[in-house]
Amino acid sequence: MSKSIFLAGFVALWALWGVHPAVAFMPVIGEKAPEFMGVDSKGERVSLADFKGKPLILEWTNHQCPYVKKHYESGNMQRLQRQLTEAGAEWVSIISSAPGKQGYVDAATAEKLAVSRGAYADRVLLDPEGTIGRLYGAKTTPQLFLIDEQSVVRYMGAIDDRPSSRRSTLVGARNYLLEAWQAFSEGKKVVLASTKPYGCTVKYGNIGE
Amino acid sequence: MKEYTKLFLPLLFVFLVVSASQRAGAREIIRHEASHSAVSLSHEQGALTAGETGWFAFTIDPRDGWHTYWQNPGDSGAAPMFDWQLPDGVQLGTPLFPAPNRLPIAHLMNYGFKDRSTILIPLTVSTNYKGGTAAFGLTAEWLVCDVECVPQVASWDFDMATSAVAHDSADIDPTFADARAALPALAYWGSELAIGRTTSQLTVFMDEIELEGLQKAYFFAVTDGIASYAAEQRFEITPEGLVLHIPRERGAITPVDGSGVLRLSYVGLPDQAVELQPKLTVVPSVTSNNKIAYLPIWQAALYALLGGLILNLMPCVFPILSLKAFAFVSANYKTEANRRREGWAYTGGIWISFMVIVGALMVLRAGGAAIGWGFQLQEPLFVGLLAILMVLVALSLIGVFTIQLGFEGSGQKLAGREGVQGAFFKGVLATLVATPCTAPLMAPAIGFALTQPFFIVVGIFSLLAFGLALPFLLLSYSTRVAAMMPKPGAWMIKVKQGLAFPMLLTAVWLVYVYDLQTGATGALWLLVSAIFISFSVWLWGQTKSHVGRTVALLIGLMSLGWLVNVSLTASTSAPERGVYEEAYSDKKLSALLDENKPVFVYFTAEWCITCKVNEQVALFRDETQAALREKSVVVLRGDWTNRNDEIAQVLASYGRAGVPLYLYFPAGSRNAVVLPEVITVSSIIDVL
Repeated sequence: MSKSIFLAGFVALWALWGVHPAVAFMPVIGEKAPEFMGVDSKGERVSLADFKGKPLILEWTNHQCPYVKKHYESGNMQRLQRQLTEAGAEWVSIISSAPGKQGYVDAATAEKLAVSRGAYADRVLLDPEGTIGRLYGAKTTPQLFLIDEQSVVRYMGAIDDRPSSRRSTLVGARNYLLEAWQAFSEGKKVVLASTKPYGCTVKYGNIGE
Repeated sequence: MKEYTKLFLPLLFVFLVVSASQRAGAREIIRHEASHSAVSLSHEQGALTAGETGWFAFTIDPRDGWHTYWQNPGDSGAAPMFDWQLPDGVQLGTPLFPAPNRLPIAHLMNYGFKDRSTILIPLTVSTNYKGGTAAFGLTAEWLVCDVECVPQVASWDFDMATSAVAHDSADIDPTFADARAALPALAYWGSELAIGRTTSQLTVFMDEIELEGLQKAYFFAVTDGIASYAAEQRFEITPEGLVLHIPRERGAITPVDGSGVLRLSYVGLPDQAVELQPKLTVVPSVTSNNKIAYLPIWQAALYALLGGLILNLMPCVFPILSLKAFAFVSANYKTEANRRREGWAYTGGIWISFMVIVGALMVLRAGGAAIGWGFQLQEPLFVGLLAILMVLVALSLIGVFTIQLGFEGSGQKLAGREGVQGAFFKGVLATLVATPCTAPLMAPAIGFALTQPFFIVVGIFSLLAFGLALPFLLLSYSTRVAAMMPKPGAWMIKVKQGLAFPMLLTAVWLVYVYDLQTGATGALWLLVSAIFISFSVWLWGQTKSHVGRTVALLIGLMSLGWLVNVSLTASTSAPERGVYEEAYSDKKLSALLDENKPVFVYFTAEWCITCKVNEQVALFRDETQAALREKSVVVLRGDWTNRNDEIAQVLASYGRAGVPLYLYFPAGSRNAVVLPEVITVSSIIDVL
């Protein structure tokens, strides 16, 4: 008798759990980052839990977006990726463009792109359904998140303070991510922990497409 | 009316400046075709005049189906950018943008213009300006998007002549007149913007007549952190004026400027756009760098287990535990296997109830309801039913009737088995009344757990359940303790009857909570229902006839239905408070903090025993009150007896899922000192 009650309760609970909308969790500074799971360009499963114990950078990207181009064609993004990954961070680039939309790539193209752009990202995560993008409230490319060893969000927002597509604006720009990283790695408080991201809209598909 | 004149003056000023400058011949300086748009730059006066302010107009005309952006582009995109090289003695003012439109893209929102739009840029020439030809340089970057985005960039150099007197001109360029017509009007209403954690509330002090026929209202904020751009904004017409509820992302940037453009849509009229510069109040930001943001899992688990154990000592669980203890008295008459089975059934009852409560809590929270631990007691119906259950159990113990729920043991069966079902049921009951009493140790653990992935939540709460069940579970395994139990006899009937009284005390407490939730009439109906339901249960037991039982059933069901009706329709009334304190609201707290006043905030609920005890032994004591008065500390009381989203959010921001929470903001500080969950007179006086 009591056994069947146990079982029924348990099953009901899991069933109820299935209905919860993922949208309810958005990244908040100082709180745990939303759990995500996806497949990268090498066909491997990637989840937030894989990066426990290492600081993680999430970068939303779209290689055709002029704002992203500014940072890649100038080598600015690659320099930043190299500096942070050599300092011990894991860097994951995420592509949330839907099939048929700007910036969408298949796994092979993503691999090629990483080589041709000379990227230092550890992984490229393919998110054509936009699930991870929506989970993180990603709005623009580029948009960046710094997540610490305990999966707590430390920085989110723009790469720098120049919402422009012109390369010349990189001179003297204040790199927010680098600033956050430096404060974080020295164990200090990140002063500007959240900024307004700029760039192209993430090219999401419609839900259910 | 003061606001009227205050805001009317700048309006008048702008008007004068504008009319004073409409005197010379406008001149188109630049016309440029870019890949996806055409732009032009004009100067209204055509020449610079020392001591005068003139206007540039920068017009962008995107291709059909493409759009450009407002000064705040919304979720994505970019505002036009201008880099000027100016001659000495010339200064530019803030560019003025036309009133923006909403441009939805997937689930995101942009602010901008689908058609031609003109940005007006004032330039002021100093009074001692020398004259001659002045050289200007301009690099402009403007983004044009349909779904894809094409940044357009161009640079120009141009000269402007100087004219000693700005002469009148008949041909005023329509560009300028059109651009001014497209600007938002300066509002003559005063306004306030209060930034909460997940909503910003804009109050515009408009007359009711001005709000007649209003269909839609939307506020375009200039800076980030005020609005979640894609979310609908709900308006409300209050005696104060228009109140707009603007959803905001939790943890967004804290804005420093509240200005923006309010677009009002009336029935049968073109939209009105007005520029507002509301007085900005921001609820003290506590979400970031919160020290309770994360807790090592092993520590949370340990807290959970200890918390569960301590729950056994809490006053609200005591009556149930005394029942359990009573059942245990007969332990030496049971087989070892029976004892163990009952021990596990009791544990199972506790565990399942915990899981059901946690599951419901998580599902409701995922659905957006701002509720926390102990939420079931915020529902009057639940409180009422629990009170009646307590009464029935008490009457059953006294022997008025016998409910076959495992409390059997009347008469000859007294020394008999407790029964697996009875043990299970006691576990359920213990959990239901124990949740609002969560031991002080549990507060951080529960707060932490509820933000974790599902399996961790299940783990933490299982440990809590296990902790609560542990004492009796251990006892059920001990043959020595079982052997120590006295021989059953007539004395047991007396003890059982005696146990009815703590049970009735629990019922009294629940009636008190119900009274606060629904008012005195509600409490009256609860008591009447309790008596009728007791009567029907008694009647059922007295008669075996169909008629008698039907009558009993009818009485029982009717009074139950009546109680449900009363509970669900009850208007939830706030309890009375002392004169020395005020009700908590985010707005009030920030107003007090703005005045640099010291503030003590306590969050409580009538069903929270820990809170009540703290209040009696510490907060309401004369010494404490005297100390608070002496330091002229303002006391705010957040009452969470009924559901309240605002309070739930405050609790969440301090990593709590329930009450009590005690905060002290020293004078001039926006950072709260968080007091422990168990407070004493000295712990309060120490922080003051």
